[in-house]
Amino acid sequence: MTNGASPHKETNLWQSVLDRLKLWSRKHSPWLIHFNSGSCNGCDIEILATLTPRYDAERFGVQLHGSPRHADILICTGPVTRQARERLLRTYEQMPNPKYVIAVGACAITGGTFAGCYNVIGHIDEVIPVDVYVPGCPPRPEAIIDALVILLQKMSTNGPKIEEAVS
Amino acid sequence: MTELLQVLVTMLFFPAGLFLLANAMFYQWIDRKLVARLQDRVGPPWYQPLADTVKLLANEEVLPFGVNKWLFIGLPIIGLAGALTTALYLPIAGLPPAYGFPGDLIVTVYMLSMLTLCLGLAGANTRDRFSMVGATRTLTQLFSYEAPFLLALLGPALAAGSWQLSDIMAYASGNWLLLTQPIGFVVVIIGLMGKLEITPFDAPEAETEIVAGALTEYSGRGLALFRLGQWVELVIGLTMIAAFYLGGIHNPLDYVIKTLFPLLIIAGLQTLMTRLRIDQTVGMWWRYGALLALVQWLLIFLMGGGQ
Ligand code: SF4
Repeated sequence: MTNGASPHKETNLWQSVLDRLKLWSRKHSPWLIHFNSGSCNGCDIEILATLTPRYDAERFGVQLHGSPRHADILICTGPVTRQARERLLRTYEQMPNPKYVIAVGACAITGGTFAGCYNVIGHIDEVIPVDVYVPGCPPRPEAIIDALVILLQKMSTNGPKIEEAVS
Repeated sequence: MTELLQVLVTMLFFPAGLFLLANAMFYQWIDRKLVARLQDRVGPPWYQPLADTVKLLANEEVLPFGVNKWLFIGLPIIGLAGALTTALYLPIAGLPPAYGFPGDLIVTVYMLSMLTLCLGLAGANTRDRFSMVGATRTLTQLFSYEAPFLLALLGPALAAGSWQLSDIMAYASGNWLLLTQPIGFVVVIIGLMGKLEITPFDAPEAETEIVAGALTEYSGRGLALFRLGQWVELVIGLTMIAAFYLGGIHNPLDYVIKTLFPLLIIAGLQTLMTRLRIDQTVGMWWRYGALLALVQWLLIFLMGGGQ
């Protein structure tokens, strides 16, 4: 898994300048793809609210894209159902490297209210690696923007993988 | 030796190379910012298109299963090259065009269509069904706006009595063709929006129904080049409109003001309107667009413009 920024090897000046340029561009142009693997739609509505003019996520260069091939960040909601597991994996694998994942909502973190249902396999990070968790049922758009900012900060440090965005 | 140097500078820096790319990114940012302000948002910072492009270039490029590798890699390059080439015949930044020959208007218009053609082929090249639908729609739209767009661009050519860009611009710099050929102006602005797949005409890349149209399978470099090509086309189109309809371009300041005016109109229309279905687009162009352009021609002939 090539998560995180490329490690800073001070091989030569040119390389380090290029690395910095890449990192800068990555931090200023996070493109999202939104995937619902079985949520109740509450979290999805909050994600859409984050992208509306009121919160204006385009300030950070955020754009919602339809194709996983265009996206850098998979923003997913809900527990993973049996049906959705394979689709979630496939969507994740279709994204070009480097890719990041944000899990939004209590269900995405623990299975939440759906934990233990006959059709639910588990939570998101049992299927794909998650970079930032956003608790809440559903979390407010401010919390989701905060999670994005945390993720962008995380790109520059190869910090610990699991970090929590507290709303 | 100096001649070779001159050619290299024309190709790589000004007007066709780096300068045009920087210009294109700047205009793209202005467009996004204008739309954002019209929607009561803050909008992206000025380096946004640059960051997007660099990021896409640095990302992995996924080669999907079942495509022709050479076409997949080559098409974005050809499309962008076509768009960049047109700058050689146009007064970019208010300086006289680098090259010119009789009939270069037609060459320019067809060079601009090359990007759309490449886009269509790129969509048809992949096995993804969304790309397929996107490619079909791209090419359908190409056939619908191309004729009215060309007819509207030929209006000034008729009035000037020449199909060479520099002659038309010399003729247009004296008199504002916006006033004598208003219908042509409207058709050419809307034609440019169709060409760039801007909002009322974005059925080919409708993300709510067909993911991203012909570009669905493109990631990284290919996507970056196609997007750059579209941004370059925006600048080229605006330059053409300014040079033909807005009283010619005399100096860099003139260039900026006169190209920003049509961009403002485009951004306004983009905010006001919602997506048309592909059949509505085609119907609109052939029923009204082409007809309006022909009416404009008739008026030019009646007023004795075409010698
Ligand atoms: S966290 Fe709450 S709002 Fe979000 S999917 Fe689960 S139940 Fe719905």
